[in-house]
Amino acid sequence: MEVSNYWYFLSGLTLLSALMVVLSKNPIHSVLYLVFTFFCISGHYVLLNAQFLMAVNIIVYAGAIMVLFLFVIMMFDLKKNIPDSKTNLTKLAGTVVAGSVLVILVAAFRTIQYPTPDESTFNPNNGMVENLGKVLYSEYLLPFELVTVLFFVAMVGSVMLGKREVGDRNF
Amino acid sequence: MTPVIALSLFGIINLFLGFTFKRQSLQVVTLLFIICSMALTAMDWNHEYLWFGDMMKTNNLSINFSLIIQLAGLLVVAFSNGFGKDEVYTQPAEYYAILLFSLVGALLMVSFQNLIMLFVGLEILSVAMYVLTGSDKRNLRSNEAALKYFLMGSFATGFLLFGIALVYGSTRSLYISGILYNLSHTAPESLPSFLYAGIILMGIGLLFKISAAPFHFWTPDVYEGAPTIFTMFMSTVVKTAGFAAIYHILDVTFGGFQKNWIITVYFITIITLILGNISAAYQQSAKRMLAFSSISHAGYMLLTVCANQPSTSSNILYYSLAYTLATAVSFAVLMVVAEYQTGRTEKPENFDALNGLAKNNPSLAFAFTVALLSLAGIPLTAGFWGKFFVFTDMFNKNLTYPIIIAVLMSAVGIYYYFKGIISVYFNSGEIEKIETSFLFKIALWSACIGTLVLGIYPTLLKSIF
Repeated sequence: MEVSNYWYFLSGLTLLSALMVVLSKNPIHSVLYLVFTFFCISGHYVLLNAQFLMAVNIIVYAGAIMVLFLFVIMMFDLKKNIPDSKTNLTKLAGTVVAGSVLVILVAAFRTIQYPTPDESTFNPNNGMVENLGKVLYSEYLLPFELVTVLFFVAMVGSVMLGKREVGDRNF
Repeated sequence: MTPVIALSLFGIINLFLGFTFKRQSLQVVTLLFIICSMALTAMDWNHEYLWFGDMMKTNNLSINFSLIIQLAGLLVVAFSNGFGKDEVYTQPAEYYAILLFSLVGALLMVSFQNLIMLFVGLEILSVAMYVLTGSDKRNLRSNEAALKYFLMGSFATGFLLFGIALVYGSTRSLYISGILYNLSHTAPESLPSFLYAGIILMGIGLLFKISAAPFHFWTPDVYEGAPTIFTMFMSTVVKTAGFAAIYHILDVTFGGFQKNWIITVYFITIITLILGNISAAYQQSAKRMLAFSSISHAGYMLLTVCANQPSTSSNILYYSLAYTLATAVSFAVLMVVAEYQTGRTEKPENFDALNGLAKNNPSLAFAFTVALLSLAGIPLTAGFWGKFFVFTDMFNKNLTYPIIIAVLMSAVGIYYYFKGIISVYFNSGEIEKIETSFLFKIALWSACIGTLVLGIYPTLLKSIF
């Protein structure tokens, strides 16, 4: 099977699961469909020759962030039926905004010219972990090390803010 | 580069010292750390280095900016007083460590040569500020301010990243030198138009951090909600670093495209001047007034960024230094008075709480007055020369209308700054003698004398910058 067939299959799957995120009534189902959407997007990364990005996407988005989402949703009281608060005006406004975005996107895609990759400089191993690691530890060593300072600040800060405090709240 | 490494290490050491040291000695240790890294910064004077393959460049300009930033850090630590006697609710080791780490971020923002470095530096500085804003955990205002700052700041970072991506897409390089090379070797017609969108988006991300007008909505709430000592840090360090980055991006890197961004930045500058000054005049709370005044000073500094003259960098430096000294002193006095008034009056940060300060605390009142005069731009203070140099820049570029607006707005400024002076000297009120620590006094007086000396001999520093 040709690569483009995989692409069509994956894109269809992505769109379908993304639609189901919005359409399903149960929030838990929405989250699970979102996880599925992320997996499909990771598939696109593989087609684009970015294997490392695929792994990171699955670990960070599908793994960490979505689990956080699930926890938050579980903490809400889902038994309560929240009435549909949207008025006709907001529905109309939403339709107009979404419709104009659609028009703009269609107009943009009509005139777009896709660049073709240069066969002589194309390297199929570009997205591999090995190459990424080499770049990260040579050219981008300094920012890579400084990101550790960033994470350390975030860690110290969250520990400091997360400590339980007794006493009155004030204003 | 050495101060970046040194400050990161000092931050980690500081966390460990928290186990063993008393809070007052922690303050002294942190002061020594910052002085040490200032010395390391100054050692590179008159040398130009590129670090880690063009990632960072240190030259005299970046050293000057780094020194001002670290001086602001030094003042904040000296004013912090070990974060008071509150043993349960304050964690000085963590605060000092985060302050040191955020200085690392600020130093990256003044010496970056790669847009990734700008992003990392900005994030280190911002994340540290989000945490410190919310550090008064039991105070609802502080909680609200931290959340607001975090949400809006992440949004602004998104703008910056999108801008960087567009610039990278159109110039095929993340290095400033590479961008300049590609821009000068491509015909302007064949540059993709999203380059201009990228420049504006990067500008928006940075203008948010220095609280220029359409992006200033977070400033008053965050400045008011954060503990005063961290507000002082925010309004000095973040602003200086932000302006260094804006100068580097707009004037140095994209100076050739001035006609594409100048109208937007003009508009932002004028709105900033008008909104900042007019809203400051309405405030009852002195802390909120200083927040709006910091918005208006961003407007004055943006004027010189618009002018883009050879003297722009030295003017930004001079203005930042004058502004840093004056703001630090005014926030410091406000902080000790508010501490004294907590429990005595309902709103300890209002102008009313300062009433009659001069009677029993003449030195605090005098320092406060000098600081406010400098902020207002009265002659014989550093603030006057800061404004003077900025206006000269504009005049050389034949930009008359912005000067008229700026001069009118500094007249409005005189009104609200003098409100503080009037309540200190002429209104009656009962404030007993406020005891301050030795380090606090030294910092207060050196900042005051610095303001006056810079006001009398501006050439003293102008010859260095």
